[in-house]
Amino acid sequence: MFRFQRSLLAVRIRIHALRQLYRKVLGEITKDARGLQLMRDWLSPDQRAQFDDSGTFEVVGCHSGKRYRIYRGTAQNVFEIDEAGQLKLGLCFTPYGNLVAGDAMLAQKIALETDESSALAVANRFLPRGRINAHG
Amino acid sequence: MAFQIVMDHTGDTRHHFNPDDVQALAKAEERFKKLTGRGFTAAVRTASGEVSKVQSFDPNAEETVFFPRLVGG
Repeated sequence: MFRFQRSLLAVRIRIHALRQLYRKVLGEITKDARGLQLMRDWLSPDQRAQFDDSGTFEVVGCHSGKRYRIYRGTAQNVFEIDEAGQLKLGLCFTPYGNLVAGDAMLAQKIALETDESSALAVANRFLPRGRINAHG
Repeated sequence: MAFQIVMDHTGDTRHHFNPDDVQALAKAEERFKKLTGRGFTAAVRTASGEVSKVQSFDPNAEETVFFPRLVGG
């Protein structure tokens, strides 16, 4: 009888843990999906088509006219590109706090399109080694 | 109905308000000032889909997004 009660308790603990895990995973998926949806809503039609096609999109800096490609991610995901679309320079800047990818990408887009020099002023530079030098 | 979208660790928090309601509008303006005062950037979309940064509360903006200050990674 005592053994049965102990195994019942163990099952309950496992079920509780599984529920917690399920809620956590579902919550993560939901907030990631919401972030991506918000970003997608705010992209221009061209950018939206690029993102749907390749998972990246390009923006034009408001001050320099330089082109940047934003990849999915929250950091080390912005690159200046040359006329041929090749990666020239990596730029690492992101909104403060633990934001999801879609939110970070939207903030990076807005920053480059509306206040490029401020974004570049805080960005750390890196060489785009290891990154596929094409869309996607 | 207008809304303010504040990016945060939960994805985002959305505040809906009726721009014809004076009290709701004042509350939205207060939220705008509070967030921008804390370093958030506010941006709106124009009808053509262009994005612009705003420094002061626009009572006619249907959708305003706020994101925290940028930091180097």
